[in-house]
Amino acid sequence: MTAPLLKIEDLRTYFYSKSKQAFIRSVDNVNLEIGKGETLGVVGESGSGKSITALSVMGLLSAGPGVITGKIGFKSDRVQKNLLQDLDDFVKLTMKDGKVMAVQKDEDGWQERSEHRMSKVRGKEISMIFQNPKQSMNPFMTVGRQIAEAVQLHTEYKSEQAAKERALDWLDRVKIDTPRLRFDNHPFGLSGGMCQRAMIAMALSCEPSLLIADEPTTGLDATIQSKIVDLLAELKADLGITTMLISHDISIISRLSDTVAVMYGGTVVETGPAKSILAKKDDQKHPYTSALLTSIPSAENIRGKGYLQAIEGDVLDTINIPAGCRFYGRCNRVTDRIRERCERQEPDLREIAPGHKARCWLYFD
Amino acid sequence: MSKTILEVIDLKKHFFQRKGLFSLGGQQRSIPAVDGVSFYLKENETVGLVGESGCGKTTIGRTILRLEKPTSGRIIFDGTDITALDTDELRKLRGKMQMIFQDLDAALNPRMRIREILNEAITVHHKLTGAEVDKRIAELLEQVNLKKSKLSNFPHELSGGEKRRVGVARVLSVGAQFLVADEPTSALDVSIQAQVVNLLRDLQKQLGLSFLFISHDLRVVELVSHKVAVMYLGKIVEMGMSGRIANKASHPYTHILWSSLVEKQSREVGKKAKSVQAGKWGVFDFERPLEGCRFAPRCPVYEAKGGPDICTNAASEPVLREIEGGHQVACHFPL
Amino acid sequence: MKSYTQISGEIGEFSDLPFWKKADDIDLAYVGYGLFVVTLVILSYFLGAFNLLPHDPQDINLELMMAPPLTSGHLLGTDFMGRDMLTRLIVGIQAYFLPGLLAIFIALFFGTVLGVLSGYPAKAGFDTGITYFANLVDSFPRLVLILLVIAAFKPDIYYIMLVVGITNIPAVASHIKGKILFLKQKNFIEADIALGLPTRTIILKHILWHNCRSILIIQATLGMGEAILMETSLSYLGFGVQEPTPSWGNMVQAGSNYFMKGQFWPSTAPSLAILFTILGFHLLGDGLNNILEGKRNK
Ligand SMILES: Nc1ncnc2c1ncn2[C@@H]1O[C@H](COP(=O)(O)OP(=O)(O)OP(=O)(O)O)[C@@H](O)[C@H]1O
Ligand SMILES: Nc1ncnc2c1ncn2[C@@H]1O[C@H](COP(=O)(O)OP(=O)(O)O)[C@@H](O)[C@H]1O
Ligand code: SF4
Ligand code: SF4
Ligand SMILES: [Mg+2]
Ligand SMILES: [Mg+2]
Repeated sequence: MTAPLLKIEDLRTYFYSKSKQAFIRSVDNVNLEIGKGETLGVVGESGSGKSITALSVMGLLSAGPGVITGKIGFKSDRVQKNLLQDLDDFVKLTMKDGKVMAVQKDEDGWQERSEHRMSKVRGKEISMIFQNPKQSMNPFMTVGRQIAEAVQLHTEYKSEQAAKERALDWLDRVKIDTPRLRFDNHPFGLSGGMCQRAMIAMALSCEPSLLIADEPTTGLDATIQSKIVDLLAELKADLGITTMLISHDISIISRLSDTVAVMYGGTVVETGPAKSILAKKDDQKHPYTSALLTSIPSAENIRGKGYLQAIEGDVLDTINIPAGCRFYGRCNRVTDRIRERCERQEPDLREIAPGHKARCWLYFD
Repeated sequence: MSKTILEVIDLKKHFFQRKGLFSLGGQQRSIPAVDGVSFYLKENETVGLVGESGCGKTTIGRTILRLEKPTSGRIIFDGTDITALDTDELRKLRGKMQMIFQDLDAALNPRMRIREILNEAITVHHKLTGAEVDKRIAELLEQVNLKKSKLSNFPHELSGGEKRRVGVARVLSVGAQFLVADEPTSALDVSIQAQVVNLLRDLQKQLGLSFLFISHDLRVVELVSHKVAVMYLGKIVEMGMSGRIANKASHPYTHILWSSLVEKQSREVGKKAKSVQAGKWGVFDFERPLEGCRFAPRCPVYEAKGGPDICTNAASEPVLREIEGGHQVACHFPL
Repeated sequence: MKSYTQISGEIGEFSDLPFWKKADDIDLAYVGYGLFVVTLVILSYFLGAFNLLPHDPQDINLELMMAPPLTSGHLLGTDFMGRDMLTRLIVGIQAYFLPGLLAIFIALFFGTVLGVLSGYPAKAGFDTGITYFANLVDSFPRLVLILLVIAAFKPDIYYIMLVVGITNIPAVASHIKGKILFLKQKNFIEADIALGLPTRTIILKHILWHNCRSILIIQATLGMGEAILMETSLSYLGFGVQEPTPSWGNMVQAGSNYFMKGQFWPSTAPSLAILFTILGFHLLGDGLNNILEGKRNK
């Protein structure tokens, strides 16, 4: 195992609902690791905290209270640093029964210190592509100019001409047809798939050490999705770029990832090598992961059955996290031996096989 | 043999877009969103409709429900021609046919509680007393498997799956026998999609409903439908029993749709599919660069055969032909 | 330093607070102030009706012209004819309120009708017609239009407000139409039609009552402010409410002649009244909108 490039420890990112006077615990104790050159697939239902985890890493949250605790270790130029270092000076937490019940945060102070640090990292060392490419590009600037500007800002290609050449080069690499023509297009002149390609070109053109791709194919047509996935796979093989790939589509994750993290209700319930997590066998897996795998309409799951194995119950509402295991209400593998614990006490993320961790009492003794 | 509940004959729906800002009568661009579609649906049957975004699936559904006025063609529902009904007759018709909208929030007025929403829907077509309405609401909740406590909630307080269930309950409440389900699962989470698919299947068994099931998810369509119709640029290019379409697709486009399933790509891809997939992707637009077959600009078979004239001849646009046991294809060189 | 506190450990399934509890304090303050202003207006009619005013607003006292505030019997002093400022200030609002309501009614009623007609069945012809009407109205400076009307008839506040109301129709109509188009885009109206609801239920209940009431509230409160401002500007041209009937506009105008001589009260008092009243109506609309629309899903 290579040394991790990004290591997130005990990250908590909360929001506050004024109408319910309660915290929305969007990211609640997330632990993740991405090795250099690897692709980590993050799967989970919507609202499970995938995007908020990514935005926390980028330091891009504006609503309060936002990130409140945790450590984000990031290795850049062989220097190990913690992106959240010293920021806890600005936060005071009041806990009750291990639950955060009140937060006092000097948001301006936090923002200033975080911004000071992140402005050197964002775009240059970590860049991100978003679900909706059209909304995340500047509509008033041509696609090419936007890429060239990013190149000028973050790489050694400082001259106008060099940056432009570089941008064209990237447009070509992401297989946009006639890059010279598209260079002068505005984002609205491009189709969804093409816009996503341009977005990928922009993110990669700064040669970041880490790429975060948040649902890069969601909302695109099936035929176009498969093209984007092809492109990502090719870029991965050619450039060996480290990627955090967020998606709720398991087939995409299984195609591209080396390791997988499964999120549920704001926390990571299972992480490990893609092979063992996405394998069909149930035995050494978190019950949520197995249920998720059998509920997708794939050839195997459909064959001969005529119906889908659904997970009963609802997606966990992160405003109301139960005391015990987050999956308890929907879990069909609770045994009498562990029922008590499942209901009362949240399992921690423990290694159940080499490199494979899960949050489930079934595997602890 | 069960009886035919819906028959669509050569249905066309063209939209017109004004080109200039001030050209009132002048130049118009016509978008043939639905361009000559025929099919029928039997009682207690589900027909799946697949195709890329923008190919006209939703428009077919809306036109059948007469939310749009068809440009030409005929729609026969339950033995009566509904192509030219007036507003009043249409309102009565809504008690028999309904639509589940793609957007989860479409059917839910954000200012009304769930109870009011259902109450309103139940009393549109039936005059019922308060007690009868309550009974019917309880019945509906049970059918769609929704907790009673949700009745006092506002829509924004529900999860996606619950919103979809309310939407289905609202549609069932009028007692419709035929439903157009427009991408009923696409806005939902993976784990919830399965619940909704199963719910619709159960309801079909219980209530004997007929569905026109629109989706771009081939897997879901294969699972729920008896028959599948594949659409491209406003026309059905292939139609047949769902097992056949899934396993023995004959139209090059259907092949591409199937092979673009990422799930399939990660495994061994059959040789034929691979050669098809290698085809190049032009732009998808109603303004066709070529006459004849509308798939020609993107068709790998057309390319492999060196651009045969028959494919691009205006006089020989391929029409649906039966190749075997109810399996129809519109292509001169079916695979 | 911001603090966030969760009140209880266990949250009920969906314990949505009633809307006034989850409203922003600032919005409640806005509405509170707005209601206070409205109360004052009503109070003015009440005092007038029951003869409880400190003086007669028309009562001329040539002995006591331009008396400064706090002069015996005159809390806010007197004007150039020795009439009691306070009384005239209280009565002054009456010059606007009913005419203002007329303007609002015209704008909202016809604006809504036109908005619905152009948005709901979306007959292209209708829409074009309304656009032409809106352009026509917008292309005339409103003041010029009012002067024309005054010249043709007579300088009456009701004529003025009639014009104000009519010229506000396009703005209301376009807001309503915009909302309808938005709802259409979300298939909301279509779902109602598909269900078989009668058109009148869809328009009156689902569109107007449930989805447009905040637009109407805002337009109404803005309209009242506008009515006051319009009359004030016209008073400067001598076309506002005519002496001796008091209005804040003609009071400011009359008082301004003395302002430079250091006798500030006859113009300052009505100016402040205008300022705080308009502010009151604006804040009322804004606060109500925020509370009713609930920034809850923010
Ligand atoms: N009112 C309209 N005016 C003009 N064009 C329209 C209108 N409604 C639909 N269209 C066009 O008709 C075509 C078919 O639209 P439709 O909504 O039926 O597609 P769809 O197959 O349901 O796509 P999706 O999978 O995205 O829902 C599209 O190109 C669309 O832009
Ligand atoms: N600005 C915000 N204010 C309040 N809640 C938020 C905000 N942004 C996200 N959330 C909540 O955080 C949770 C996690 O969101 P997200 O990370 O976007 O989920 P996903 O896994 O689908 O990417 C959701 O319940 C969402 O409603
Ligand atoms: S801890 Fe218990 S409830 Fe949670 S997933 Fe494991 S078995 Fe299920
Ligand atoms: S008719 Fe010709 S162009 Fe059309 S799909 Fe068949 S082979 Fe391709
Ligand atoms: Mg997300
Ligand atoms: Mg559609």
